[in-house]
Amino acid sequence: MNEPTNNAMIQCENLTKRFGEFTAVDRVTFSIAKQSIFGFLGPNGSGKSTVIRMLCGILEPTEGMGRIAGHDVSRDADAIKGSLGYMSQRFSLYDELTANENLQFYARLYGLRGEAMKTRRDELIALTHLEPYIDRRAGQLSGGWKQRLAMACALVHSPTVLFLDEPTAGIDPVARRELWDLLFELSSGGMTLFVTTHYMDEAERCTHVGYIYMSKLVVCGAPDDLKQLPAVNPPGTKRLDVTCDHVTAGLRVVRKLEGVRASTVFGQSMHFLVEESMPEQSIRDALAGVGIHQVDIRLIGPSLEDVFVALTRQYAGGPA
Amino acid sequence: MTFRMPKFLRGFRAILYKEFIVIFRDRTTLFFMFFPPLLQIIAFGYALDNDVKHMAMAVYDEDRTADSRQLVDAFVNTQTFRVVKRVDSLAELESMVRRGQAYAGLEIPPDFTRKLHAGQKADVQVLIDGSNSTTALQALNTALGVAFQQSVRILLGETNRRELPVEVRPQVLYNPSMRAPNFFVPGVIGTALQIATVFAAAMSIVREREKGTLEQLLVSPLSRWGLMLGKIVPYLCVSMTMAMILFLILRWVFFVPIHGSLVMLVVAAFLYIFALLSLGLLISTKAQSQNEALQMSMTVMLPSIFFSGFIFPRETMPGIFYAFSTILPATYFIELMRAIILRGASFLEFWRHLLILAVMGGVLFSLCALRFKRKIA
Repeated sequence: MNEPTNNAMIQCENLTKRFGEFTAVDRVTFSIAKQSIFGFLGPNGSGKSTVIRMLCGILEPTEGMGRIAGHDVSRDADAIKGSLGYMSQRFSLYDELTANENLQFYARLYGLRGEAMKTRRDELIALTHLEPYIDRRAGQLSGGWKQRLAMACALVHSPTVLFLDEPTAGIDPVARRELWDLLFELSSGGMTLFVTTHYMDEAERCTHVGYIYMSKLVVCGAPDDLKQLPAVNPPGTKRLDVTCDHVTAGLRVVRKLEGVRASTVFGQSMHFLVEESMPEQSIRDALAGVGIHQVDIRLIGPSLEDVFVALTRQYAGGPA
Repeated sequence: MTFRMPKFLRGFRAILYKEFIVIFRDRTTLFFMFFPPLLQIIAFGYALDNDVKHMAMAVYDEDRTADSRQLVDAFVNTQTFRVVKRVDSLAELESMVRRGQAYAGLEIPPDFTRKLHAGQKADVQVLIDGSNSTTALQALNTALGVAFQQSVRILLGETNRRELPVEVRPQVLYNPSMRAPNFFVPGVIGTALQIATVFAAAMSIVREREKGTLEQLLVSPLSRWGLMLGKIVPYLCVSMTMAMILFLILRWVFFVPIHGSLVMLVVAAFLYIFALLSLGLLISTKAQSQNEALQMSMTVMLPSIFFSGFIFPRETMPGIFYAFSTILPATYFIELMRAIILRGASFLEFWRHLLILAVMGGVLFSLCALRFKRKIA
């Protein structure tokens, strides 16, 4: 958020979109440096796709402006189209065309031809391991392979900025991990990536994240910086990870203790936000009272999920 | 591959190749482009035959003389009627017509020959089934004609004149045998082509909008002229093939002679198809869903079946419908078809119609490209 402006690849200034009475995106401002992997999070319908569409120049902002590499996206759309890649949620492939034909189509669309087209196609096939499926119709590919093909198509013109709208929704874990490996590779090659996602583990991998809630950008910054925010770490509190058996039963008694501000189950453990002064022994005692004796307590920092939960609560309930 | 596309056509080639592949792989589109027009030309070509021949006629001859038999023969000789049954009562004659077993009933009274030879008026009754106006009209005209001929023949004999005082010698030009297919089939080609082209083009962009691929196209540097041309050319090729097939059917299935220039026939078909496809594309850019596109195409196409002069002559239409018919491409194409195929008209006689079709196509196509927003919503 605090990058110098001259290094900014993607910028929004009070970007706003209204559909009639409904405000889909409300005065969103942020700036993303070149080579960042920006993770854009938020619940469904919060305005993520609308922001992407405005930044890609296919949806007119009602107010404010977006810039890609310094070009105004609504007035200067043609200037950025050649350097912009976009992979939509629906993958935008032609089902009747084979994987190869889809690639060729998008290559031609961006003016590639002859040898240059073949070379680029081979590079992308190697990058996405599409080789075995190259002559299969896109409509017959499984979700993971469709996503790879869509990725290859979005990269065909070697864009400098790539927008990915929920690229990992509904695909298997292997394909998901491989996609992220690919994203890091692209980023290290100089590309700026803008990725929307619902997965917190994906957000943790990003160099920067933004969280949009009810059409407004709630927070934006590097994950580690966000975890230091006072709203996430109220003064005089600490976060504890409590590992034991029967976590649901445990949670029921511990959350009633004085000094516990927030609690949640996290797999085989419980996470608590408690007052600094609260002794660990009071938790152990409470758990022993319901027959839980094997207890391991650790001091932990907030996760991104904690950050978003804290900020959303603060936002929804007014100033905390 | 050294030729560079001009900027305003950017992306044309990509869309063109893709669209060709999609058309030929998408069996449904191809089926709907070819099947309905073929069905239509065959069905309409055979069904829209208002040449009424050999209508069933029942005869109640109470006279039973050489003269009465000669009268019945005169009816049969017109080829409009054939005698299906001789009956023995007026009630039976009426019931034949009522039950639809005969279109006409001829009753010759017992005193027919006597009155004829006595120089009196001999009445003959003809019952005609009026529930079908085409056949009824034909039966009526033929019956009156027969009576008139018989009367004239007798009168000539009595006056010793050898010829009629006035004789009209009608000569039907261009379609001398008055065959219905000659009149209808060129018109059917007009409406048949319309169904295939407008629907197909109307679906093309709206389908991409529904599938989400349009969004991807909008992000790319594709130009709107490139998009529209790339879309229209493959459909133009398929539709021209269709038009050629329809012309072959016209010539070799319905044996309609083509009197005019084949080149002009192809030019007319090209301009007409271009205008229809542009109209379809225009619908496609406006419609948000395939359903909407379907309804919009129907709204445009249904009136042209009635008002283009395909079935009802435009000249007898009320003023407002006549005015409406002048904005339909089908009106001009159907007139062109009749002019070229039946009348063998020359370019100088119909160039205005060609020009109007060309202008319609040009305007509609430009509207598609100019009004197409490279934005969603």
